[in-house]
Amino acid sequence: MEIEVSFVLNGKRVTVKAPPAKSLLRVLREDLDITSPKPGCEAGECGACTVLLDGKAVTSCLVMISQVQDREIWTDEGLVKDGQLDPIQKAIAEEGGSQCGYCTPGFVMSAKALLNSNPHPTEKEIVESISGNICRCGAYPRLVQAIKKVANE
Amino acid sequence: MPEVEAVKLASEEILQQGYSYINRSYQRVDALDKVTGKIKFFSDMKIEGMLFARVFRSSVAHANIVTLDTTEAERLQGVRAVLTYKDVPGLNAYGAIIPDAPVLGYGKVRFYGEPLALVAADDQETAEKALGLIKAVYEPLPAVHSMDESLKPEAPKLHDRGNIARHALILKGDVDRAFKDAHLTLERTYRTQSQKHMFLEPEAGIAYTDELGNLNILAGGQNPYRDKMQVARSLNISPEKVRVINYPAGGAFGGKDDVTVQIHLALLATKTKRPVKLVWNREESGIGGFHRHPSLITLKTAVNDDGRLLANDSHIYLDTGAYQSFGPTVLDVTIEVINGPYLIPNIRIDANLVYTNNGISSAFRGFGGPQGNFAIESMMDEMAEEMKMDPIDFRLKNLAKSGDIGPFGNSMRNMEGIHEALSRLRNSPLWQLGKELPPKPWIRRGTGVAIAIKGVGFGTIPDYPTAAVELLPQGKIKVLFSNPDYGQGVNTGNAQIVAEALDLPMNEIEVVNADTQYSPDTGSSSASRGTFTSGNALLVACNKMLDRLRMEAALYLESTRDGIEYASGRFLIKGNESKSVSIYDLAKGLRAKGETLKFEGTFEVPRYPEPVKGTLEVPHVVYMYGAMVSSIELNTLTGYLDVKNVDLMADIGNVINPLLATTQCEGGIVQGLGFATSEELVYNQDEKPMNTNYTTYIVPSIADIPKMYVEFIKTYEQYGPYGAKGMAEIPIVPVGASIANALKQASGVRYYQLPLTPGRVLSKLHDQGQG
Repeated sequence: MEIEVSFVLNGKRVTVKAPPAKSLLRVLREDLDITSPKPGCEAGECGACTVLLDGKAVTSCLVMISQVQDREIWTDEGLVKDGQLDPIQKAIAEEGGSQCGYCTPGFVMSAKALLNSNPHPTEKEIVESISGNICRCGAYPRLVQAIKKVANE
Repeated sequence: MPEVEAVKLASEEILQQGYSYINRSYQRVDALDKVTGKIKFFSDMKIEGMLFARVFRSSVAHANIVTLDTTEAERLQGVRAVLTYKDVPGLNAYGAIIPDAPVLGYGKVRFYGEPLALVAADDQETAEKALGLIKAVYEPLPAVHSMDESLKPEAPKLHDRGNIARHALILKGDVDRAFKDAHLTLERTYRTQSQKHMFLEPEAGIAYTDELGNLNILAGGQNPYRDKMQVARSLNISPEKVRVINYPAGGAFGGKDDVTVQIHLALLATKTKRPVKLVWNREESGIGGFHRHPSLITLKTAVNDDGRLLANDSHIYLDTGAYQSFGPTVLDVTIEVINGPYLIPNIRIDANLVYTNNGISSAFRGFGGPQGNFAIESMMDEMAEEMKMDPIDFRLKNLAKSGDIGPFGNSMRNMEGIHEALSRLRNSPLWQLGKELPPKPWIRRGTGVAIAIKGVGFGTIPDYPTAAVELLPQGKIKVLFSNPDYGQGVNTGNAQIVAEALDLPMNEIEVVNADTQYSPDTGSSSASRGTFTSGNALLVACNKMLDRLRMEAALYLESTRDGIEYASGRFLIKGNESKSVSIYDLAKGLRAKGETLKFEGTFEVPRYPEPVKGTLEVPHVVYMYGAMVSSIELNTLTGYLDVKNVDLMADIGNVINPLLATTQCEGGIVQGLGFATSEELVYNQDEKPMNTNYTTYIVPSIADIPKMYVEFIKTYEQYGPYGAKGMAEIPIVPVGASIANALKQASGVRYYQLPLTPGRVLSKLHDQGQG
C-alpha cells in the first residue's frame, strides 16, 4: 500500500507516493534524488542521515514518511542559497572538518540545528549537538572549531 | 582558493626558500562539494535501468558445502540473475598478494559470511527476498576460533598446506648468548584485537557495460589498477576491457585496499547486460568486510647494567583469518617495527601468519605497525621502569642515530627528527599534569610515552609510479594519477605540488583521480605512499612538460632554450621581459601540430635491491617517525579510562599542507584511541561477528576524544617531493602503547592486552589488589 504525502523540502512543497513505513531517508534518496543524507547504518546510530525536521535535527532513517505530512524538512543541499554557502558549510570547509566527506552533511545539519536555536553556544553545547554523529576520519576537533567560528561571527 | 590560517607552518626556513604553494594550508580541493552534499559517492548514484544486487553469504564458519540450491530464487519474479561459483569464467579467487579467497565459495566454507551466490533483481526488496530462497546445506566442520587453537597439532586444517600461511625467521647476532651476559631480561606476551574499519560508507559500487563494450566499475577502492587486474583475471577478459574508478569513497583506511564488491559487480553486469548496483549494509560490512589482524607477540628482551639494549627475541603471530589477503605483507611490517627504531645488536624474529575461521584480516592503517608497536613500546616502558630510568632517557639512549646500521643491515637515515621529537616531549606539560592531585579520590592520573617508526611505501618491492599532467589550451592544467583520495587529501597535496612545480595558481589546477581510463598507474593509496609516489611522478611529468614547452617557446620567441626563462605560466626572453608567450598559447600551437599535450612521468621509488632474507619487502629507505605522550584519568570504581590529552611530535618530512596533515594526524590518533580503549570485533560460538553496528562496536565520538596537539619536526626528505615523506599511518601506530603506559603509571598495573575496556581494566585492577 502506498500513501500520498506532501511536505516542504528545502523551501519547496513536494508530494510523494510511498509505503507509509518507508523511511524519510529512503524517500529522499530514492524518490527525490536528495543524496546528502547518507545511509551509514540505517539504525539511527551514526548520524550521517541527519536532516532538519521542523527545525530539529533528526536521523531521517528513523522517520517514517507517513510522519512528515505538511512538515518542513531541510537537507544540506537546501542550505546553499544563490550559489552562496551557508556559514557553517563554509566554516567546515575552511577548518578542515571534512575528510572523506561522507558524514559531513549529517554534521552540517546537526550544527545547523544548534546554531538556529542557539546562535552563541558554549563548547559543551557544541559537543552535545554533534555527539550523535560519527566521523570515522576523526575530524571532530575541526568540526567543533568550525561551529565555534560561526558562533563567534 | 582560500588559504586557511590557523595551523603553524612546518618550517619558516623552508618557506624562506621561496615556496609559493608548499607549506600552505589550502582547503581540500573537493571541500565545497563535500560540505554542500553535492559530491556523489557511488552508493548515491543511479543509472537508468540499473539492477540491485545482494550477496548470499554462508551462515556457518567452517563446513563442507553439500548443496547450494538457487532454483527457487531464480524463479522469483523480478530476479534477473543468480550466480554461483559455476558462473565465474576466470580464476575463482582474489587476494592482493596471493589469490586464495574464492570469489564465490565452493567445496568448503572457511568463515561466517563467505560469499556463495549473487543475486541481481529489479529492486532491493526482490533481491532481498531472493536471498531467502537460496538454500545451502552444509556438513559442519569444527571451527578454529583463535590462533591458540589453530596452532595446536590436533587443530582442524583450514587449508591443505596447514594453518600457517607464512613463516619467517630473521636472525642477527646471537640472542641466546646475549641473554646469558644480560644484566636484566624480561619476557612478556602481548595481545591485540580485531579492529574494524567502520568507514561511514560501507563497501559499495556500481557497474555497467558501455557502448564500446567496456566494463566500467565504479567502486570505493584504494587501487584501481589492481582492481582492474583482479576483475579481468576472474572474468577471463582483457584488462583493456575494464575501466575502474575508485574516487570518491566514504573512508577506506585499508579496508577497501583488496577487492570487496568489484568482481561481484563485474560478474552481474556482464551476465545481465544491465547496470548493477551493490551496496553492503552495515551488518554485512561487519561480517563480510576486512579487519585488522589480531596479534599475539612474545618478546624476550635484555639490557646491560648501563641500560643499553642487548637483545630482542620476538615471536610474532598474526591471525589472518580464513584467507591471506594482505596478510603476508602485514606480517612484514610487524617484523619491521618489532625492534622499534632502536639499536639492538642481537635479534631473532620468528614470525607467523596463522589461519583461523575469523573472517579475513587485511590492510588497516598502520598495517601490522600498531600491533608490533604495542609490544615493543610496552616493553621499553617496563624495561626503563625496571632499570629505574626515565622512559624518555631510556629510549633516547637506545635510539639509533643517523649512519647507524639498523636491524636489517640498512643505514638509518635522518634520525635527527625523532631524536628532537622525543627530547621535546619532555617539555610537554602533560608530564606535570600526572603529578597534580586528581580531582576525586577514586580518580588516578597517569602519563605515558611511546615512539613509532613506519616505512613509506613498499620497501624493497620495485615501485615505479606513473602520473601525468595535461595542458589544456583553455587555461588549465589537468593532474592525473591513480592513488585514490578517500579523505587523506592527496588530491589537494598533488595540486599544490603541481602548482609549485609550474608556478601556477591553484585555481588553474584540475585533478582527475583514480580513473583507469585517464589516470596513469600510480599504484595504490596505502602504506602512506600517496603523496610520495604521485607527487614525485608528477614532478617528473611537470619537468617533461616544461622542457617540451621551452623548445616551443624558444622557436616562438626567436631565441634559444638557454635564452629564455620561465615564470608563472609564461616564457620570457632573458633581459627583455616585454617579449613573452603563455604556456596555453604554446599549447594551441602544439595541438595544431597534432602533438600530445599530456606528459607522463615515472618515478623510481628508492629501495634496497633485495629484501632481507626471510622477508618479502623489508627494509625501507624512507621511514616516518613519531613520538607521542598521552595523559589519562582512570576511574578505579568503573575501570573507565578517560584519555585527556595526546601530544604527537611527528617527522613526516617537509609538510605540503599543514592543515590537512594536522587533521589527518588527529584522525589517526582518534582511530588509535578506539584501538586502544574500545574497539573489538567479537564472535559468538558459531564464529559469527556479534557487534557490527555503531552501538555495539564503539568507535570514538566527539564525547570520547582527548585534547590533541600535533607538531611537525622540521625535516626534509631528500627523496620526497619537495621534501615530503608520507604520513597517514604514523599517528595511529604509537597510540596503544602510549595509553597503556599511561595506565601503568596511573594504576600501578601493566596491561598486556588491548583494548583497555573498563571490564578488562577493572578485572585486572581487582586481581592485583589495586581496585
